[in-house]
Amino acid sequence: MRATAEHVPVGIAACDCLTSLGDATATAAALLAGRRALSLTPLLGRDGGDAVPLALLGSMDEKLPPRWLPDLRRLAAGIPAEEWGTARAPVVVTSSNFGAGSLYAFMRDRDAHHLAHGTPFATVELLRREFGWGEQVHVFSHACVTAHLGLLHAARLLHAGGAERVLAFSFDFVSPFVAGGFHSLKILNGAMPAPYAVRETGAIGLGDGTAFAVLTREVAPYRIEAHALHNEMHHFTGNRPDGAGFTTCAAAIAGAAHGRRVWVKGHGTGTLEAGRIEAEAFAREFPGAPIVSWKGSLGHTLGSCGLVELAIALAALRGAEEKIPGTVGTTGPCFADTVALEAFSAAEFDGAVLASNAFGGAHAAMLLTHD
Amino acid sequence: MIERFIHALHVELPPADETAAGARERLREKFPRTAVRRMTHLGLLVGAVLDGMQLGPDDAVVYASTFAETCALEDFLSSFPTPSPLSFQTSIHPSAVQQVLIGRQQPLARLWPLAGRKRLVEHALLTALLEPAPRVALVGGEERGTWLLELGMASARSFAFAALLTMDATGAIGSVAFAPSSAADEACPDLENFAQALAARRALGWRGAGGTWSVAWR
Repeated sequence: MRATAEHVPVGIAACDCLTSLGDATATAAALLAGRRALSLTPLLGRDGGDAVPLALLGSMDEKLPPRWLPDLRRLAAGIPAEEWGTARAPVVVTSSNFGAGSLYAFMRDRDAHHLAHGTPFATVELLRREFGWGEQVHVFSHACVTAHLGLLHAARLLHAGGAERVLAFSFDFVSPFVAGGFHSLKILNGAMPAPYAVRETGAIGLGDGTAFAVLTREVAPYRIEAHALHNEMHHFTGNRPDGAGFTTCAAAIAGAAHGRRVWVKGHGTGTLEAGRIEAEAFAREFPGAPIVSWKGSLGHTLGSCGLVELAIALAALRGAEEKIPGTVGTTGPCFADTVALEAFSAAEFDGAVLASNAFGGAHAAMLLTHD
Repeated sequence: MIERFIHALHVELPPADETAAGARERLREKFPRTAVRRMTHLGLLVGAVLDGMQLGPDDAVVYASTFAETCALEDFLSSFPTPSPLSFQTSIHPSAVQQVLIGRQQPLARLWPLAGRKRLVEHALLTALLEPAPRVALVGGEERGTWLLELGMASARSFAFAALLTMDATGAIGSVAFAPSSAADEACPDLENFAQALAARRALGWRGAGGTWSVAWR
């Protein structure tokens, strides 16, 4: 199967994120310092449960108003002023969780007030009220590739001509709902993740994350040039063992990156089979290009990871050191010799490929370029 | 103007009291026996409307649902403090489409699961019209909830639809068009009304997203 990437270049006018390590600049700096945000935490919050690696912005126990709202307000304060939520300046909201933690809180406390934030549309209505957005708010949810879909949709809106600027906004906060789910799949366990490491047992961590990007048709120093997407539809929680799904997406974005010197920010959650196939596929399609994952520090920020990690990549590129953080949490040996464990200079590169994967064998990658 | 042509259309509007078990019995011939046991009500309905619509690895699916996998969500929430892995993976949007396409082992270029409400239909149509794939299946649906419905957190009605859109007018049964204009947004059909309009092949039109929408039939 030979897929091609979609060339819909857009400028990044503004971009930031919030993780348990701070904003994008602080998060990039902490990753460069090798800091690990994950810590072993009871997976059901105050209800206990096994201790699993989580990187949280405060307590996981849901509140009224929802615990994520103050952090979203904090992040949104940095969004450039615009009449967001109109046809000219639409908003694309992406999340895999929305307010799912409120449903768990309702089940535990039987407090019906939590239900006001339990559905995707209710959480988006809350955001619209909070931030004064109009009705042109497009909402996508496709597990852990969700933010990539939002960014491609935003680029298409710009290229179609109706929109002048698009705000892509993503948030995913860990709750007992999602921690319990991943724990039931046995990939969120008592071990810290070590992305791309050859080890006995795989493990992931989960982290809170929210991010935004303002995309524009105008020329900008940092651009998203192309996107590649592919859906294997082989298995709900597994990939084709021959790696065809990873290869299809990686080869498509490699075509778009032809002639550029790129590094790769992989998905790299810490699972073994997917980590091996991903590392091998990118090593094959991008010979010699270093691949990193930051989920060994931040945990997996789920549907928002594509946008959160884009913001971190931009902050690293813009940083005084111009260094790209390595794969925090992994000491090797690794599935490919292209896995970069230590930070490296960005000076020799003029682009980056940022990739994510999701349930159903969904694969996404985008090409980030800069002057 | 952006226009796409409707080449196939299937709509499922079962009786309001149809259960997942009832749908399983009614639709079992459409699915492999091993798969049908695990499929949700919404998965069965989406599978039924996609039946006969051949999609290839270069094609795309746009899937709209406000509440999505309500019953799997109910089951997953009820399974705590020992959460069910099957209910967890099934509860995640866009499980209904994945149940069908994984059953078929049918890879796709792009899958666009939308999750809004008020302008969900409009945004799903816009997503479909902006999609460059040769064939786009515009799919939507809901399944009736039980205790989440009592709390106002689920659809009261199960339904699904699928329309196969292409850029080729030849042999089309209808069309979806968007003409840019500066008119202000007006009310957009909700997902259930849209499904009913498709079933009746009723023309639709409204203004929104910076343009005028029309769904027309031949």
